[in-house]
Amino acid sequence: MRLKLLSFFWTLSVLLLTLAPVQAQERVLNVAWPYQVPPTGHFNTFASNGLLLGQYQDIHEPPLAILKWATGEYEGMLADSFGWDADGSYVVKLVQGVTWSDGSALSADDLVATFRIFKLRGDTVWKSLTGVEKVDAQTVRFLMDAPSSLVERLILTTNVRASSVYGPLAARVESLTPGTEAWDSLLNELTKFRPEVPVSAGPYAIEPSSINESNLMMRLNRKGFAGNLQKFDAVRMWNGETEVVTPLVANEELHYITHGIPPTTEKVFAQQGIDIVRSGMNNGPGLYLNHRVYPLGRVEVRQAMAYAIDREQNGYVSLGESGVAVEFLTGMSDGLSGAWLADDTLEQLNPYEYDPDRAAELLEGIGFTKDGNGQWHDDQGKLLSFELTYPQEYADWSAAAENAAAQLNAFGFDIQLRGVQFQQHPKDIYEGNFQLAVRNWGLGDPIPARSFLQAYNRYNGQGELAGEQGGGMGFKMNVTYSGGALNVFDASNSSAEGVNRQEQAKLVAQLALSYNELLPAIPLWERYTNNALNRNFLQVPAEEDPIYANFGGGTDNWMSYLILTGGVAPAQ
Amino acid sequence: MRTLLKSYPFRVLVQAVFTIWAVTTFTFALVRLMPGNPIEILVEQILTNEGIAYSEAYDRVAASFDLDPDASVWDQYLGWLGDLARLDLGTSITSPGTSVGDEIIRFLPWTVFAVGTGLLLSFVLGILLGMVMAYYRNSSLDYFLSLFASFMTGIPNYIWGLLIVIVLGVQLRWFNVGAVRGTYDPGLEPGLNLPFLLSAFQHALLPIVTYVVSALGGWMLNMKSSTMGVLNEDYVNVAEARGLHDSRIITAYVGRNASLPLFTQLTISIGFVLGSGVVIEEIFVYWGLGHYLFQSITVRDYTSMQGVFLILTMTVVLANVFADLTYGLLDPRVRVSGER
Amino acid sequence: MFQGSANVASRFRQLVTLFHQIRANRAGFIGLLGLIGYFILTFLLPYVVPFDDQPKLDEITAPPGSRLQLAVHRDNAERFRTLEDLAGETVGVVSQTGGLLFLKEFAETTDTPPKAKRYRWRSRISGPGIEAALKDVANQKIAATLVYSQAWKEAVEQADDPAFQKLIQETVVISNPTLGPMSLLGTDTQGRDLASHIVHGGRVLILTALLGGILSTVLAVCLGSLAALFGGVVDQSLTAITNLFLAIPRFPLLVVLAGLISFENTLLLGVLIGLLGWPALMRAIRAQVLSLRERDFVEAARSLGLGTPHIMFREILPNMISFVAINLIFAITSAMYEQIGLVVLGLAPINDYTWGIMLFFGRTRGTLFNPDGISMALSPVLAIALFQVCLVLFARALEELFDPRLRGK
Repeated sequence: MRLKLLSFFWTLSVLLLTLAPVQAQERVLNVAWPYQVPPTGHFNTFASNGLLLGQYQDIHEPPLAILKWATGEYEGMLADSFGWDADGSYVVKLVQGVTWSDGSALSADDLVATFRIFKLRGDTVWKSLTGVEKVDAQTVRFLMDAPSSLVERLILTTNVRASSVYGPLAARVESLTPGTEAWDSLLNELTKFRPEVPVSAGPYAIEPSSINESNLMMRLNRKGFAGNLQKFDAVRMWNGETEVVTPLVANEELHYITHGIPPTTEKVFAQQGIDIVRSGMNNGPGLYLNHRVYPLGRVEVRQAMAYAIDREQNGYVSLGESGVAVEFLTGMSDGLSGAWLADDTLEQLNPYEYDPDRAAELLEGIGFTKDGNGQWHDDQGKLLSFELTYPQEYADWSAAAENAAAQLNAFGFDIQLRGVQFQQHPKDIYEGNFQLAVRNWGLGDPIPARSFLQAYNRYNGQGELAGEQGGGMGFKMNVTYSGGALNVFDASNSSAEGVNRQEQAKLVAQLALSYNELLPAIPLWERYTNNALNRNFLQVPAEEDPIYANFGGGTDNWMSYLILTGGVAPAQ
Repeated sequence: MRTLLKSYPFRVLVQAVFTIWAVTTFTFALVRLMPGNPIEILVEQILTNEGIAYSEAYDRVAASFDLDPDASVWDQYLGWLGDLARLDLGTSITSPGTSVGDEIIRFLPWTVFAVGTGLLLSFVLGILLGMVMAYYRNSSLDYFLSLFASFMTGIPNYIWGLLIVIVLGVQLRWFNVGAVRGTYDPGLEPGLNLPFLLSAFQHALLPIVTYVVSALGGWMLNMKSSTMGVLNEDYVNVAEARGLHDSRIITAYVGRNASLPLFTQLTISIGFVLGSGVVIEEIFVYWGLGHYLFQSITVRDYTSMQGVFLILTMTVVLANVFADLTYGLLDPRVRVSGER
Repeated sequence: MFQGSANVASRFRQLVTLFHQIRANRAGFIGLLGLIGYFILTFLLPYVVPFDDQPKLDEITAPPGSRLQLAVHRDNAERFRTLEDLAGETVGVVSQTGGLLFLKEFAETTDTPPKAKRYRWRSRISGPGIEAALKDVANQKIAATLVYSQAWKEAVEQADDPAFQKLIQETVVISNPTLGPMSLLGTDTQGRDLASHIVHGGRVLILTALLGGILSTVLAVCLGSLAALFGGVVDQSLTAITNLFLAIPRFPLLVVLAGLISFENTLLLGVLIGLLGWPALMRAIRAQVLSLRERDFVEAARSLGLGTPHIMFREILPNMISFVAINLIFAITSAMYEQIGLVVLGLAPINDYTWGIMLFFGRTRGTLFNPDGISMALSPVLAIALFQVCLVLFARALEELFDPRLRGK
């Protein structure tokens, strides 16, 4: 039998050797993103399941600009120049001489069409916009009542689509009113619209005939944006999630992945000489508490828990070098805290360094007691016993939950763990149906308000989902802290309004200080990317290059930036 | 009596149709009871990526899906049943306009090919080896094969799949992990031409090996125990006494009678294996029905799930009908049940 | 009273004979020993071996056999071999590591413990704590440092910085490579001992599988023989129900049920699996009974006017006991897989720390791709697979005992 199996495998390997596809002698950039094969997947990038290819959408439908996070400045891509006009409108002038892969020239019509479809879809940017006007062949003016840095960001990060494809649909939007039957039927038409070919203004265009389950090819689009800067003939996009692409990286068939890889796998890659590139994601797992469950609503208890958990250990066992303990517990990432808070504000922040003694002091201070078994009881004599839930499919969050529970138990809590399917877990939090839970703090976005709103909006009551007892973690938005009184929800929203950074920063400072003192949720660590990058095949800037710190790991991605500026080449 | 006998196949078929309807209705309700719904899942993604308000994200996703969240489940059910009567499985929810029927037709053949080959190979090998074990029982060969079979059944098929990829593919590099993915090499024209058939076989090989390895042990052990029972039957002894050739006894008497109970299991396992291919197809990126089902379950695409479950249900039910109708042919001793 | 003791004595004799019969069957005996071993491992050992829930940052995903070592300066290799030798000296330990825990324990057993110098695991100024500690040993600022073999391998043998590597390899030696307790099976992604997890992770699984397997077999035998013996309407309706059950896709059914009940008691999962698992076996039993029903000896019993219970329990059941026995084993094995499969695919809620959950976390945390860490996934796989092997081997022995026809020839 063993012989039979052996010969079976040998036949197999011989077959595979002879049949393995001959690698063409072209220069190919091998990257990966999960996608759906047509007809489930399709070329309508406005509808769900469209072949957007995540961050790689930037290389076939380039954005107007990419933000350098470190400096807060935008660098124009399809936008040649951009900025606020004196009347409060925003003006974008597109670059000249870029041609779509179907031969039409990039023009203001494309941008206008894109925004009209956004309007039809009901995108967020249209909450602020009142109109989009074509000024001349390359210039577009965005009209609005209240200019804000948020609108600017939403406009500039737009991936521009071809009017030759979406123009006819977009043209019909203007004459319709939202909410009418005609509007809904046009929307329905949009979702069912299936362009026959993908049309790209970027350096690469998807080749429809190459799409299969395993990978797809994107061919060089020489006349597209940055087409003449490219050092590759094609991009091969491998399909699949982490477990599927890991063997490809190990086999050196795939040279760069953005998938979050477990630290255990990371070690193997590192031994193979594959680089791991890390940059901050501005979010990570945090410990959420249901403030309605006594005594989790008491600030001393939350502070004690923050002291009782060593965040450094928690991050390391969960995501290795990429699980970086949060230093300033402000509800946003350390990077954003550093960029938005003045030095004296930073000094006022409590770092909650691991200190179980301080935690015990806090609990004793409010009448809690420790029994003979070393377990804590609250002032009503009840054991501090809670259930901690987490989305079990998320490998790093589940590890964070496991470790946080172990540390709290070591301190004298009684925490039971329960994994919940990822489809169900957020719902439990929205409905206030939990005691302790691991969910994300912060957001991969440079605007602080959006980070704060994860705690104050997403996980703190969601309208119809709120249920009878009020939704989410039940944190009262009108807070009093040592700096005074504040409505944290309103303040968060206000901090994203207007274009005056000084004014915004004032609010952000108040929000950060109140968060740090009251700890509506306890951030554990910040997730850094751990992109695997094989330098034997790819020539990119060295590890110390500021580019990795300059750009975000998610949106405003450094790899997109490098491709769009011709900064990646095959290794010699 | 005669007319009743004649109507037996008819009755079985009527029962089968009823079963399919009942199970279909049950699954219709079942998929809607699963935690989360297609809209919420995409909403979560948008919330994490864009950080907008929940209601806003919800409205946007609801508008882009082919699903009216306000329509009553009853209306949805009637609509789906009406479509089904016209042999239309409807369109995908998460990918509006894409026909579920077309997708199933695209994915199903690959699964049938891989699962069918794997199941048949393991069955035939298992029958042969099982008989060998029974004939040489208590010999060292029997011990070795028993241990081997027990061990093979001891490891679930998804573990076998992972081990094959990791050990043979990644560590030993016997094959190119990327190149064996998918169902055939890109650029080939599906049809009756050699390059395509070879390529299809090459891509299906690893899933087939996995199915064979994980199912073989079970067949071997079952066949062995069944054969040992038959070997002691009177008619075998009589046949031996009559001086019939060993080979004739093995094939005509022992083999046939011993494998009888296993045929029932084979037909029943067809449906199960079709469904259990989900993980194997994910591991080998072999895109068949299981992969389609897994995707649909992950994003809770109700119509796609219903479509796949309908196919799985029909396979199981029809396999049973087949077993019922052919059982009498295989075992003449069995009269059709229900009539005395 | 007297009769009772006589009974007990004869029962005992029967048991002894049974035992001898099993012993005669070599493979079956191995299976039995294995099962006894599993009983000890999963039901008794948990009282002796504590569950390790201490994260240890310096031995994350260590391979089997990793252990604590004493690293000292080359010149002191002879002087410092144990912690006793280091009384009064300064020993470096990195926070949150196995070394720190070990030193704490040691300090409680002696009056002259070494002085501990603590290093932060990762410091923004001096970098990784282990490297800082080893450098201090090299520069003879401290006498020794406690370092796990895995951490030594990663920090020194695979060091990124060649200068550091050279310095350490030239000046620091391991004077005692077997200082602390060894991790028999290696450690998991949090540096916890896998062996203790294996000991604690089997009981619930085995009970659940037994429950599910027995329940489904009992249901299958009862319903299958009822259908075949009574025939007519009983047979038709039972067959119809079976077909219905068979045709329900179990995958989503279990997902839904797993979502609806949160399995406070994991044994509930066994009941669920048992309730869903009988149809396939029921059909096979029905076919067997149908076939046996037509045999001569049954016809004879029937013509003698013996009732259905007699025919069932005296004539038919003994004749298919081997079939039922082996299928009971298979029902147990498949109940095992069903529950583990659900957990491994992430479809069942997770609460107890079982072999299935070790495998699930081992897989999602990428240990399958790392030869050092693969133990986290492989240990539970082996534990499960060997358990199944023992079951099947034992079933063989039982089968031959119950069925006299199989013994002969």
